[in-house]
Amino acid sequence: MDPQETFAKEYRARLMQAARDEKIKRALSRAIASFRKNVDTALSAFPHTVKLTREVRRIKEESVERMEELVEAAATSVRKAKGEAYLAKDGREAEKIIGELVGSGKLVVKSKSLTGEEIELRQYLERRGNQVYETDLGEFIVQQLDIKPMHILNPSIHVPREAVAEMLRKLTGEEVPPDIAEEVQVVRRLLRGKFFEAHVGISGANVVSADTGSLFILENEGNARLATGAPPKHIALVGMEKVVPTLQDAWKVAEVTWRYAGYAAPSYLNMITGPSKTGDIEKAITYGVHGPRELHVVFLDNGRLNFSRHPVLKEALYCLRCGNCLYECPVFSLTAGYFGDRYFGGIGAVWAAIVSGDIYGEEFYRAIPLSYTCLTCGRCKVRCPVEIDVPEMIVELRKLAVRRFLEKPPS
Amino acid sequence: MPPSHVYLRDNIAAKGNPFGAPAKARAEWAQGLNLPSNGECFFFAGCGYQFMDRAETWLKAVRGLEKRGLPVERVLGVSKTLKKVGVDLAGVYGKLAGSGKTTAYINALISAVNVLRKLGVNPAYLYDKEPCCGSPLYSSGFEEDFAENARRTYRLLKSLGVRKLISLVPACTHTLRNLYPRYVDGFDLEVRHFLEEVAGRLKNAGIQPALKEEMELTFHDPCQLARFLGITQEPREILSRVRNLRLREVTSTSRERTTCCGGGGGVEFTFPELSGMLAEERMKELLETKASVIATHCPACLLQLREARERMRAQVQVLDIAQVLDKALRGG
Repeated sequence: MDPQETFAKEYRARLMQAARDEKIKRALSRAIASFRKNVDTALSAFPHTVKLTREVRRIKEESVERMEELVEAAATSVRKAKGEAYLAKDGREAEKIIGELVGSGKLVVKSKSLTGEEIELRQYLERRGNQVYETDLGEFIVQQLDIKPMHILNPSIHVPREAVAEMLRKLTGEEVPPDIAEEVQVVRRLLRGKFFEAHVGISGANVVSADTGSLFILENEGNARLATGAPPKHIALVGMEKVVPTLQDAWKVAEVTWRYAGYAAPSYLNMITGPSKTGDIEKAITYGVHGPRELHVVFLDNGRLNFSRHPVLKEALYCLRCGNCLYECPVFSLTAGYFGDRYFGGIGAVWAAIVSGDIYGEEFYRAIPLSYTCLTCGRCKVRCPVEIDVPEMIVELRKLAVRRFLEKPPS
Repeated sequence: MPPSHVYLRDNIAAKGNPFGAPAKARAEWAQGLNLPSNGECFFFAGCGYQFMDRAETWLKAVRGLEKRGLPVERVLGVSKTLKKVGVDLAGVYGKLAGSGKTTAYINALISAVNVLRKLGVNPAYLYDKEPCCGSPLYSSGFEEDFAENARRTYRLLKSLGVRKLISLVPACTHTLRNLYPRYVDGFDLEVRHFLEEVAGRLKNAGIQPALKEEMELTFHDPCQLARFLGITQEPREILSRVRNLRLREVTSTSRERTTCCGGGGGVEFTFPELSGMLAEERMKELLETKASVIATHCPACLLQLREARERMRAQVQVLDIAQVLDKALRGG
């Protein structure tokens, strides 16, 4: 059987198995109810956010239009701040750059990065003989259970507390009660030392300003703060579409992102411009005080530039990864991330196409069964802060699939 | 490519409707209504309402088989082979299951005509000449086939003297109104949705529709109606005019945030079992209103909710809004 057929068949089997799994449905229905409530509360407390979304849409439109130039400018700004910047054409190139920066036999702490998932960075670094710890709690659980993350905000959304307790018992050899607060304390103890022993910290970024080269990383746990602050070397992997023209723009994008993720403000907003430095002794700038001495920013293309020129599918690059669409998707509510590939839901189908590099590329077929799983019902679009038209993109994907795989249909 | 989408396309090409039903079955519902076949304003009934009884038996068969481990692609393969030797699987299953023909969809059409007439519109009807708008071709990605079908359909409608369509199925309405102008040069037909026409006329008609007995009803907004056509106010306006009718809204999932019944985007044909589960999830939301009637206005939603009700043994009626209004206009 050719890989396309195998993929479609296995995808279907996984999807249906998930749909029949009552546990997934139960876990998600709780999460969906509380997420929607949180977002509604955040939006009604800060009603200007809705107006701000229109500005953010415009910022993203402009940024995607000028992607290449803005990434260039951001790279220059990063270097000006004494960081290093790289442009990786695809996942393999990004792995190579980061692989060389990390080396082997190192201890690495990683905060959540969807772009990292996209290229399976952790697995790559592990294969090169490094010990890598996911430090976001959800990612940590997913890593330890060796399963696939199921949601962009809550990767372990489908794992109940009992399963977490069991995993921690195996990991520590101690009895851990199925109590969420206790579980969190166990993980805190486990990772505490790792942050300070680690040679390298790896993160993504929610948005990057081209004019100052500043990385914005939003989080609540404090793990990104530690992972990007404690080790001597910080490497950030950033999708090209995350770069916006100015610091002011980045603030707006960041505010809309966290508000639509259901927060008045996140516990932590890390804004990182260059490595740690001091000028306190004789005004001589010296790097690597308490934070990292080195900052490396790797901008990832992996199909983004190509698809930024597609009149319909470029909209997917406006995505803020706030997660609202997933909580609106009826299929997702039954199947979680099994409706998806690297990214999830209807927009995940488009991202499967993007990261395949090209509609005539080898891996484009992965987007097809996903696109035919979308109901094109459009509820995601109603809630999307930047009004991404998923149904329209899904139909476009299907058109491309017909053109590529069925070419001239029989008359 | 999922074979189910190819199957729909081939049916439209061969039979002029997505379900492969015999073309002459299209106008059966209109017998005895004496709708004129000429005029300027035409009633566009749509394949969905006219053939959905057949789709229902077919889907029932496929869902049953998928649960027992036979995926839809295999069923389609078998059904195609059988068709070649003259056996119609949907027909056979319909007889075996004893379900025969359901009148649910056809009744919606008859009611819609009754309502229009009561409000002073006597539309013409194309009978078995009514073409398929090709909506499934578009959403399945068969753009070239869609464009060709759209141009052919437009030419046909023009040659029959059509100037205005009152269209029922939300998907057809969206296709004719919003997609055709993108593919047909000089497209100049007026496409009104049934509920727009009715809401406007009811306001000025000075008639008070009334039900004899009190009815608690919830309205399920079809995706295409609410989000693609933006028609959410009209059905509520209509329902609010009916005496003895109490509208019970699904609090957070109505209007533009309505939950899909699972019968969208061809998912019902590609993942029939999943689609059925989605219908049950939507049904649960609707049942929370404790209404005794669920009204909607889309053949796919009707099918999905009717099926879900049957599987869940829910004590609730599923009707088209046209049927409710028809009843009220006859005095309940």
